[in-house]
Amino acid sequence: MTRPNSIQKKNDRDSELIEAIQGGRSDLFVELVRRYERPLYNFGMKMCGKRQDAEDLVQDTLLNVFKYLKGFRHETKFKNWLYRIATSACLKKRRKSKFAPDRELSLEEFLPPEEAKVEQDTPSWATLPLDQVLNEELGRKLSDAILELPEKYRLVLVLRDIEGFSTEESAQILNLTAANIKVRLHRARLFLKDQLKTYFQDG
Amino acid sequence: MHDHQQCIELFEKLSEYLDGELDQAVCETIEAHLQECRPCQVCLNTLKQTVTICRQMQADRVPEDFSRRLRKMILQYADSL
Repeated sequence: MTRPNSIQKKNDRDSELIEAIQGGRSDLFVELVRRYERPLYNFGMKMCGKRQDAEDLVQDTLLNVFKYLKGFRHETKFKNWLYRIATSACLKKRRKSKFAPDRELSLEEFLPPEEAKVEQDTPSWATLPLDQVLNEELGRKLSDAILELPEKYRLVLVLRDIEGFSTEESAQILNLTAANIKVRLHRARLFLKDQLKTYFQDG
Repeated sequence: MHDHQQCIELFEKLSEYLDGELDQAVCETIEAHLQECRPCQVCLNTLKQTVTICRQMQADRVPEDFSRRLRKMILQYADSL
């Protein structure tokens, strides 16, 4: 019978590298840095918004990975385990700095108004090709809007829509149910949708 | 007559619909509603574009000086093992 760990290893693009490091090739740590410094830094910037905090997050995460890598048993993909450590580093940092206040986002605040008041046509920004919409200014606006999300929603949105994890993977990383991930993601997206709408209307 | 209650029920599921996480029967209900409800179509289109914009965002670049320091630190750490 195939053991679950063997299945995980087979689907994990990092498993060979991790096994080599676990087997004593500590010189290959640098390859791990090469693979993950940018995604981790991006995760840090989206979660914390400040260069120094993002750098601390990358450094703390990688040091913890190296410290605990021997105990990694391939029960999940390495990348999921890595982001679990990054999330925990991020939450630790959260307690030391000022972030958007924690609050619940209720579905009601995003409900479309009665039909008479609602837009009857899709606004142009939602139909334009992406290369005509995406620019540095929008990137900044979106990053600011992400930082305004309460942390528990921000974490889910960044993992799902920025880092590209699936619902199940995000649930595993954050130790939440899939249903919980879906609820938080939907509210976070609705929040950003409202922020983008204001951006395009004002612009 | 437009049924606002149906909009609310659909509204809760729009992200799951976009992510392909609903079963076929629910998708068909949503699609039938969208056919006749302009506001829900607008809502879905703007939500979809929001998700696309997020997914297409450029990842922040690692500052070169930090990258150099990080590698140096990692190499020192590896040597100390």
